[in-house]
Amino acid sequence: MTPRWLKAEFKKQGATAVVARTPGMGMAHYEKEPVEPPAGYWRWGEHRGDGYSILLEQRAVWVNSGLAVVLLLACIAYLSLGTITLDPRDVVQALAGQGDMMTGFMVQELRLPRLVAACLTGGAFALAGILMQTLARNRLATPGIIGIDNGATAFAVASVVGMSVSLAPSAMALTGAATAAVITFGLAAGSGTQGYRFIVAGIGVGAIFGAITQLMLARVAIDTANAAYPWTVGSLNARSGGSVQLLGIGLALGFVAALVLARSLTVLRFSDATASGLGINTTVRRIQILLLSVALTALAVAVAGPVGMVGLIGPEIARALSTPRHVPVVAATLAGALVMVLADLAGRTLLSPIELPVGIVTAIIGGPWLLWILMRPQRSHA
Amino acid sequence: MNDFRTPPTLATHALSMGYGTRRVIDGLEVTLPSAKVTAIVGPNGCGKSTLLAGLARLHKPDEGSVLLNGEDIQRLPSRQLATQLALLPQEAIAPEGLTVTELIRFGRQPHQGWLRQWSAEDQGVVQHALLAAGLEDLADRPIDALSGGQRQRAWIAMTIAQQTPLLLLDEPTSALDLGHQIEVFELVRHLAGHGRTVVMVLHDLASACRYADHLIAMCDGKIVDQGAPANVVTPELVRKLYQVDCTLLSDPATGSPLLANVRRATEPA
Repeated sequence: MTPRWLKAEFKKQGATAVVARTPGMGMAHYEKEPVEPPAGYWRWGEHRGDGYSILLEQRAVWVNSGLAVVLLLACIAYLSLGTITLDPRDVVQALAGQGDMMTGFMVQELRLPRLVAACLTGGAFALAGILMQTLARNRLATPGIIGIDNGATAFAVASVVGMSVSLAPSAMALTGAATAAVITFGLAAGSGTQGYRFIVAGIGVGAIFGAITQLMLARVAIDTANAAYPWTVGSLNARSGGSVQLLGIGLALGFVAALVLARSLTVLRFSDATASGLGINTTVRRIQILLLSVALTALAVAVAGPVGMVGLIGPEIARALSTPRHVPVVAATLAGALVMVLADLAGRTLLSPIELPVGIVTAIIGGPWLLWILMRPQRSHA
Repeated sequence: MNDFRTPPTLATHALSMGYGTRRVIDGLEVTLPSAKVTAIVGPNGCGKSTLLAGLARLHKPDEGSVLLNGEDIQRLPSRQLATQLALLPQEAIAPEGLTVTELIRFGRQPHQGWLRQWSAEDQGVVQHALLAAGLEDLADRPIDALSGGQRQRAWIAMTIAQQTPLLLLDEPTSALDLGHQIEVFELVRHLAGHGRTVVMVLHDLASACRYADHLIAMCDGKIVDQGAPANVVTPELVRKLYQVDCTLLSDPATGSPLLANVRRATEPA
């Protein structure tokens, strides 16, 4: 018996062949024309015919390279600056395993692990943000705003105060994030993920989980509460090693998944009817995007707590730099990492020796940013 | 323009659809004539848009099925369906800032993949869609900067680039003034003239009479009558659908039915 997928493949071939055989404007006619890439793209592939072809948007290549370079510079600054300022050249040497012991220890043991955590959490929050925004077709609908960060935090804190050790924070955060997502989507059921009902439901769910977190902290011994507090506002100081590794793996897989989903994401910006008319299985894609966004958020919260503002700022920077042709997942991830690195650098150095949790720095930047998003006039192209 | 040598057939079998417990369409049997323009007309809430959503697989039937070339469309993969059937939803909205060509390129989506992002065929088809919709001078204009009629033609051009033998339009002229309506209808006629099967939901019976080859008149989720406008449209049908009386004339230029002296019905239908 012919397997079903093969039958579908035959049919697909058959369907294409009908079009190909059509007189007047058959494919044979097109194949003689040399292919020019659309304006603003580089094309890599066969010049004639319909073999493989890959398009690179020029603007995206420049933006992503630019962001990568700026991120690299920010990373070197991050490793150099602090209570003890190091020469950037010594930092680069120390990274290569050369130079004196003290600098090597500062860079490799103290600052580098925290920098890695900053890059990974920033990238994960921003990637989760742009996924959720695209899913909901709303720039305000980031996991931080619809309560997923707070859900993850509440569960993670529950494990800290309940058992006075942080017991697999990543697993707890995943459970919490999934719970918050289910409640938010449940409350908004019927109205879909579009419109204000979804956002308002999410804000409510976030507020409740935030209150639960505060309540738990108020009920435990002051030392335990003190230990858990930085996490609840977002800090890279309270991370556990295992959760960073999990986030690293999660972000690597999630990033590849987002690239695979990128074409569907771009089409999902249209209405569901248009997207499904263009051959996107909207139900399946929406579930995939939602799961990816929730998982990335949870893994990042397990490391740094709810630094949700990065999920808002990163995608916004990426969109401002990109064309409207695509959903800029790569640029958003890079921009998120950049924002997190700079915010934590500012938090560590501005009021030194007092350290500001990164969540507070991003909230100080993010608050005005949010107001600007709400109040700036729509772009006009007339 | 593509000429589709073996036109596909789209039909429903005992189709029932609804929202929750409310039945909107009940046991509908209809076959859409190939390579013709079919207009679905009827009063508000008669189920015409629901039927179109069912034909496009946007809305799952409660019972019965929609058959494309004899096969239940629920069983077709999304992408394969999108190479057979294109849909223009009501009041479609594009992401901010896209140009006409960029919008049309999205029509190639079901034919593309990660390793086949821009072929000779894509290039030819997009160029052709621009010409067919008369948009070559507006190719690089942002969608937001177009007039209502131009914008609607750009959307139809996107569905042309999809190269499907079937095209479903949900009230394509509802927000347009008379001149822009004619732009769109003439494009639709042009597409049907080249072998596409077009199905559109229309609010306006007069345009349906003028531009459709086949009329499906619906009321309360059932088909009241169907056939060529000249055979189907009678004062009785108009009263049944819209509770209005009218005098029926024949368009001296085209012979299609014209509604004149339309007034509220004096006796219940």
